[in-house]
Amino acid sequence: MKQTLRYDQVSCRLQVEGLPDLSSGQAQDALGIITGWTLRWPGRPELEGRREHLLSLMAVVLPYARLLISGVGRPVGGADTPVSIAPRPEGGHRLQLRSSQPDTPPLELELDDAELADLVRVLDELRLDPRLQVKLDLPEPRPLQPREVLERMPLGRRLAAPVGGALALALAATLGALLPEPAPQRQTTGARETPSAPGSAAPPSSQQPATAPQPSGPPR
Amino acid sequence: MPDSSSEPQATPLSRRGLERLDLLLLSAEALDLNGGEAMVWMSEQMGFSALFPNRVELWKRRCHNPLRRATRRGQLKPAETDALMRILCALADRLYPLLRALLASNEPEAVRQRRWELFEGRLAELVRERMNPRRVGVQTLLDPRRGARQRRQLIQSLALGAGTGGYERLRASLHDPAV
Repeated sequence: MKQTLRYDQVSCRLQVEGLPDLSSGQAQDALGIITGWTLRWPGRPELEGRREHLLSLMAVVLPYARLLISGVGRPVGGADTPVSIAPRPEGGHRLQLRSSQPDTPPLELELDDAELADLVRVLDELRLDPRLQVKLDLPEPRPLQPREVLERMPLGRRLAAPVGGALALALAATLGALLPEPAPQRQTTGARETPSAPGSAAPPSSQQPATAPQPSGPPR
Repeated sequence: MPDSSSEPQATPLSRRGLERLDLLLLSAEALDLNGGEAMVWMSEQMGFSALFPNRVELWKRRCHNPLRRATRRGQLKPAETDALMRILCALADRLYPLLRALLASNEPEAVRQRRWELFEGRLAELVRERMNPRRVGVQTLLDPRRGARQRRQLIQSLALGAGTGGYERLRASLHDPAV
């Protein structure tokens, strides 16, 4: 009657125990009621808990992995949730599990990228196992909002283009303002242009030289 | 063939998404010397022969990546991009031990460095062969220092998107808006 589901990866093993919910017409090999679970990591304390803790672990780790695929390393879960995970400044990830027992400090696990990928895989295997017939209520992965995509870039890089553009514009405007205004042209009486009579074939340019006189230089 | 029409986002993939998808496929090829063949084989095994009847058709879809030397205009159908993503996830699942080894931090530094050199060398070879070297994105990816973060990001995305469970995550990520 008791069912055990086990999922193995290189660095961790997840084992979920439970019973089929026969009142809902589940098959004998199904697991509809989770009675306990354990997560074993070699060289680290074993994690165990009830159904709610497992669901909290999934509700935090899977969205965190979703963000990481898009290159957004943002904490998921907080001090008020049983599980939280955040990137470590020196690399890797910090998984915190808070006990429901009073006066028990949170358990902290430091995971590298490979261990996190293993954890995500065992949780995926559990989630997609047809024998597990428990409503999980996990958020569906969604594309990020434009603001979230922007935030993955450091502020300096985000501001570089608009600030650079504004500076270039200000510099061009300042240089333009420094240029002297052209002096107004004086009108000479001898070079005043007379309008040509209608029907006259002489072009107006014939009254002025077409090209400026070239200074005479030494013969080449 | 998995039914992609019943899935929530039947929107075409943006150019930026196509660029990332092709780079992820290229990374899978860099990890597996027979990656190109494996892709065609995987496409047949997963029942995508109607979408990609032969390797040329598969290659033509990938050429919608704007970073390609011979880039193709237009948009791919959602069914085609979803099929490419499923092939990618299946490839990543098959390559997971290699991906994990690249991401693991508990191995000797010399071994890790050698693994990354092999991957980066092969990726650079494929990128130079197929991508437009005048594009800034290609130059950044090939740059030993500036491209390191992006190359690691490609490996991490493959590891977290591997398998059936990773498909939805990867799909959502490739549909991220371009800003």
